[in-house]
Amino acid sequence: MTPDHRAGRTLSDAARAEIRRLTGLYEHRQSALLPALFVAQREAGYLSPAVMEEVAGLLDLPVSEVTSVASFYSLLYLEPVGRHVIQVCTNLACLINGCRAVVNGLQERLGVAPGGTTTDGRFTLRTVECLAACDEAPSVIVDEDRWPRVAAGDIEKILERYP
Amino acid sequence: MVQPFTAPESIVLRWARAWGMQELDHYRRAGGYEAARRVATGAITPDQVIESVTASGLRGKGGAGFPTGQKLKFIPRQAPVKYVVVNGDEGEPCTFKDRTLIEGCPHLLIEGILIAALTIGARKAYVYLRKEFYHGRRVLDAALEQARAAGFVGSGVFGTPSDVEIVVHSGAGAYIAGEETALLESLEGRRAMPRLRPPFPAQAGLYGKPTLLNNVETLCHLPVILTLGPETYKAYGPPALFSVSGAVSRPGVYEAPLGVPLRSLIFDYAGGLRPGRTFKAAFPGGSSSMLLTDEHLDVPMDYDSLRLVGSMLGSASVIVLDDTCDMVEIIARTVEFYREESCGKCTPCREGTIWITQVLERILHGRGRPDDLPLLESIARGMTGTCFCPLGESVPPSLGASLKHFRHEYERHIARAAGAPPEVHTVRGH
Amino acid sequence: MATDPSLGAVTLTIDGRTVTVPRGTTVYQAARSAGIDIPIFCYHDRMPPLGACRMCLVRVEKMPKLQTSCTLVATEGMVVDTRGPEVTAGQEAILEFLLINHPLDCPICDKGGECPLQDQTFRWGPGRSRFIEPKRDFAKPVSLGPVLALDRERCILCWRCVRFGEIIAGDDALKGFERGFTSEVGTPFALPVESKFIGNTIAICPVGALTSRTYRFRARPWDNQPVASTCTHCGLGCAVWLDVRGGEIQRVRAREDRAVNDVWLCDLGFFGHNYVASRDRLTTPLVRRNGRLESTTWEEALDLVASRIRESRARGSGRVAFLGGRRLSNEDAFFAARLFRDVVDTPHLDHRIDATPSGASLQVAWGLRASIEEIGRGDVFVLLGCDPTEEYPVLWLRLKSALDRGAVLMTLHAKRLEIHRHARWEQVVRYDRLAAAVEDLAAAVERAGDPGSAAAAIAAGQRVHVFVGRAALDGPESHALLRAAARIVSAARGTLHVMRGKGNDLGAARFGVVPGAGGWAAPEILRQAATGALDVLWVAGCDPATAVTDRSAWDAARRGTKFLVVSDAFLSATAQAADVVLPALVLPEKDGTVTNLEGRTVSLRAATPGPGQARSDREIFGLVAAKLGVLFTYGTSDELLADMRAHAGDIRVGEVLPVPPVRLDGLTGSGDGSAVIATDGLLVVAADHLFTQGTMTGRCQGVTALAGPPHCLVHPDDAVRLGLTDRAPVELTTTHGRLVLQARVSDATPAGQVTVPRGYESAPVQRLLQWPHVAAPVEVRLLGLAPAGGAP
Repeated sequence: MTPDHRAGRTLSDAARAEIRRLTGLYEHRQSALLPALFVAQREAGYLSPAVMEEVAGLLDLPVSEVTSVASFYSLLYLEPVGRHVIQVCTNLACLINGCRAVVNGLQERLGVAPGGTTTDGRFTLRTVECLAACDEAPSVIVDEDRWPRVAAGDIEKILERYP
Repeated sequence: MVQPFTAPESIVLRWARAWGMQELDHYRRAGGYEAARRVATGAITPDQVIESVTASGLRGKGGAGFPTGQKLKFIPRQAPVKYVVVNGDEGEPCTFKDRTLIEGCPHLLIEGILIAALTIGARKAYVYLRKEFYHGRRVLDAALEQARAAGFVGSGVFGTPSDVEIVVHSGAGAYIAGEETALLESLEGRRAMPRLRPPFPAQAGLYGKPTLLNNVETLCHLPVILTLGPETYKAYGPPALFSVSGAVSRPGVYEAPLGVPLRSLIFDYAGGLRPGRTFKAAFPGGSSSMLLTDEHLDVPMDYDSLRLVGSMLGSASVIVLDDTCDMVEIIARTVEFYREESCGKCTPCREGTIWITQVLERILHGRGRPDDLPLLESIARGMTGTCFCPLGESVPPSLGASLKHFRHEYERHIARAAGAPPEVHTVRGH
Repeated sequence: MATDPSLGAVTLTIDGRTVTVPRGTTVYQAARSAGIDIPIFCYHDRMPPLGACRMCLVRVEKMPKLQTSCTLVATEGMVVDTRGPEVTAGQEAILEFLLINHPLDCPICDKGGECPLQDQTFRWGPGRSRFIEPKRDFAKPVSLGPVLALDRERCILCWRCVRFGEIIAGDDALKGFERGFTSEVGTPFALPVESKFIGNTIAICPVGALTSRTYRFRARPWDNQPVASTCTHCGLGCAVWLDVRGGEIQRVRAREDRAVNDVWLCDLGFFGHNYVASRDRLTTPLVRRNGRLESTTWEEALDLVASRIRESRARGSGRVAFLGGRRLSNEDAFFAARLFRDVVDTPHLDHRIDATPSGASLQVAWGLRASIEEIGRGDVFVLLGCDPTEEYPVLWLRLKSALDRGAVLMTLHAKRLEIHRHARWEQVVRYDRLAAAVEDLAAAVERAGDPGSAAAAIAAGQRVHVFVGRAALDGPESHALLRAAARIVSAARGTLHVMRGKGNDLGAARFGVVPGAGGWAAPEILRQAATGALDVLWVAGCDPATAVTDRSAWDAARRGTKFLVVSDAFLSATAQAADVVLPALVLPEKDGTVTNLEGRTVSLRAATPGPGQARSDREIFGLVAAKLGVLFTYGTSDELLADMRAHAGDIRVGEVLPVPPVRLDGLTGSGDGSAVIATDGLLVVAADHLFTQGTMTGRCQGVTALAGPPHCLVHPDDAVRLGLTDRAPVELTTTHGRLVLQARVSDATPAGQVTVPRGYESAPVQRLLQWPHVAAPVEVRLLGLAPAGGAP
């Protein structure tokens, strides 16, 4: 495999510049790996092999290390996801406060099981662990917005906000 | 007539509860950044900071409860490069005090970081925030910008020759990154797997350099201790932030004196259970602490008292279960959490969590066997004291407690006809 | 782990026995030193403790819970229990956890019989399984490249293989993916593993998760007869076990030798043995009759050879020459020297057949000037035109461990090295600018360099080792380059290593296969042969047709030679053109010794008898000497050794006899001309690779596959200009020749340079090159269309 393979370049110059800037924040350039992967993921949608190769080249890390690290973390997506990612907390406080109805409601509305992406590529539904918003249980995060005390009846008006 | 409960005055949480504390001006008008300025200018020396913090009795609020003053003292003074690392990977189920502090008063954290960094002579601090704190990150970034523009953060803080750069670093979705050495691995761009200790972070932490690693809340106490003085601070309990959630009327973060009875937290601060419900059990310090039943409702919520009853204060997160909760489901969901979040490094945690959840799911699906209960106890025994880090060790106590106090609920599931439809479904599954 | 004797000792009690160990010793090691066996999986004594598998649990008095003995440092007065009921219960629990998802398919598993998991289960494990859930389910074994198979169901996630790549080899070849109970080891996207050392991971895998695709299902360990010998590929002389069954080497394993390879090997060592049992081996002598090589008897073949030599001597001395050495043992080389110098009376012997006529290689003695162990204690390493993982892989492992202890590395080469991430300073220049770059570096070191620069680190180094490789020694202006390297060494009070010599080249040099007084070096032998100056040329255990760096020089030599004798194991390109071919044994079939790159004498033990009528070179030389009237008779091997010592110095098996010092007197010229090759266009350059498809390696299926098809590296910028995509077929044309290869688009080669690996019998890069030039302007043309989806 050849990192920094010009023909296979997928990231924009801006993203590459941002990744280079990130390396300056740390004593070791590998520290910039997680932030760099998020820069890449934001731009490419998910971390395809080509994207991870490119990040590896930019940080001068082995591709094996980049993919190994990426696969460890649940918010780095190695498979394509929808335009919007819905994270429904299913941990204890949310479980006790009715997240099951929210998950069921979303499943029904979107026609996908947790982990799945709608056929129109609009939403990916994920059930996740505690979001540290137990005072707002059941808690749902869509993209980067946290929705408090979500009930099944709120689903439609929440989804409307994410075309 | 019962007197309505009035919570005592808060000295830490009030910063996050006051309006507009995300703004530097508001924070300063309320006296913010004065403690840090005095440390920077030498009006308070590092030794005095350590003395005050030690005298305050402050202990780490992340879960381990290590005395903060001692931690400051452990950092070798003469080391040329040192770091402050802030653990903002708040992921312990049903803990949300750090998020509350960051979103409510980011400057309190920044000031705490400045005090810590100036005390140990670190020029750089990293705040490791869990990725899911999208809002918290925005708030903290904006506050840092303000503090940097005011000359409080960056080179020459408060007009002194001291530099303190603060970098916010987001995680990527891994509970184990909250374990301090796993956090360092993650901050160094690797898989968040706990490191062997010794060496401890104070000797060789980030990039092998001496590192002061503190939880968000812990650092937020520092400006308060220096402003009020350790004696006044201590007179408040000393204060602790409790996250109370689950089957209570008013879930939320509450500041209460350390040692407040569990009963008071649940029934006074959090408004008790919802109408018509009765108390069943509670985790006193996050899902990693051993489940307590009503016989322990009067236990004082402090380190030693909870240890005496076999549990722990942990992150001071009370998760309340009421009579509608199916204990097998609760435990299954809890162990499933550890299964999902196990890093996979050590055998007992990686294999024990999957095995236990497999057995529990079988029981929940009406395919349990009488042998399963001793089997679960035996698996739990095999995990006890054998895991690499506290994550795996979190499983046996509550599983054991539930098998002891709520065995009948397990037996009821097992007694159902083989193949009967499940009474409850686990939500997460895999 | 590392213990410091100056720190003193501690005494502790283990299972009631008093044990005294150096301070810093772990409880596990302390127990081991007392003969107490504690089960382990993740711990490997060449890597720092990890504490992951939790199998080595012990009970320590005054400690609240069981402790992992591999991570726990022994302290004074510690009381340890490794056998009590609590410990046993803990170990049983761990073993049960490990087994719940293990398939227990021992009867069909290669590891069976040498499997730590099997052994521990037998000793410590529970009798029956309480696990009734479905086991973790993975697709059956996946191939991670041509030599490695991974069976994830068997993997117990001890992380040894992953850490080997991170800590020992530094190639990060295998990694952990996912987490928790879905963790698995592997490569990114299950692509073929990229490593020169992967065989070691198979060796240290404590279960049958990593297995060798060339050994799978071939033998049971207890059926193998291990033979202690030495690997003779690269010349480092790694100690090996040759595991023999049914008269065939089934596999090669590392044999511990702390002075040389420690416990490791490279993949050429692991997988480069199948040629021995190849069906292509020569089994009878061949003579050319009516233009065709035909089988004959030894008697007839030797008579013919002897008579041709006699005829030549009748015409005068010095009309016979000998080339070879790399694949000869010390004893073979000694016999060759006696035969040709003393009996045939010719000074024209040489082993340096791959040297260029005016390069610096011919001007200095080859080899290391410090022991491998001493190099491992170095603090600054400078690699000049030297690529350790392609040339001397196991030496890299020493350098890597020194780097981990704080040493620093500077590399200067005409390509990006695989190990570049480990270099503090890396300089890649086009081949024709190497000498100038070394001169610049020398000048900077003499000025003590700018702060933070490589030159400053070299100048300030305490134990500086400078390695000059083949690309530098045979490259443009190599004389100037070597003089500059010597200046660096002198300014840094360091040591200069001449990284040249493969197989037993150093033994050949030591035992006399070098030009005598008035004798010709190998390139001159070829030049003289081309002019008709030779009656007989004998080539032994080497293949000039593919090894001489200008193919036409060999062809002309062959044409000009009246009688060509080749002794070899295969009908190589050289042998195909011979008048007499004598079937020879290969080194794994010989008893004797070889000389490694340090000048260390290491021993060979015959693993197999050899095919048909094949004979050792030593025997062949002796028989010819006898035909010529001289008997080489040695009553015992000690007598032979005494005679070899009388000629070559006090050699002792296992010990280093230093190679001659580097003398620069011969460096009068500038070396091969660079002016001619200076070009604004593309330059073609040949490079040494570990995995090749040569006479021997082409007959090792693992190595052949690892080498991949004949290819060339093209820089991405050049590829864009040429309209090339990765894996496209291209034609390389120089004024001298043409070659069709697969293009690999890679920034490992500098812009403006096309790098072609040497060692492909079917696509010899030396067709493109003409002495005295060692590189040539080249035209690259895309052939047809690249195969669809040809990447990655």
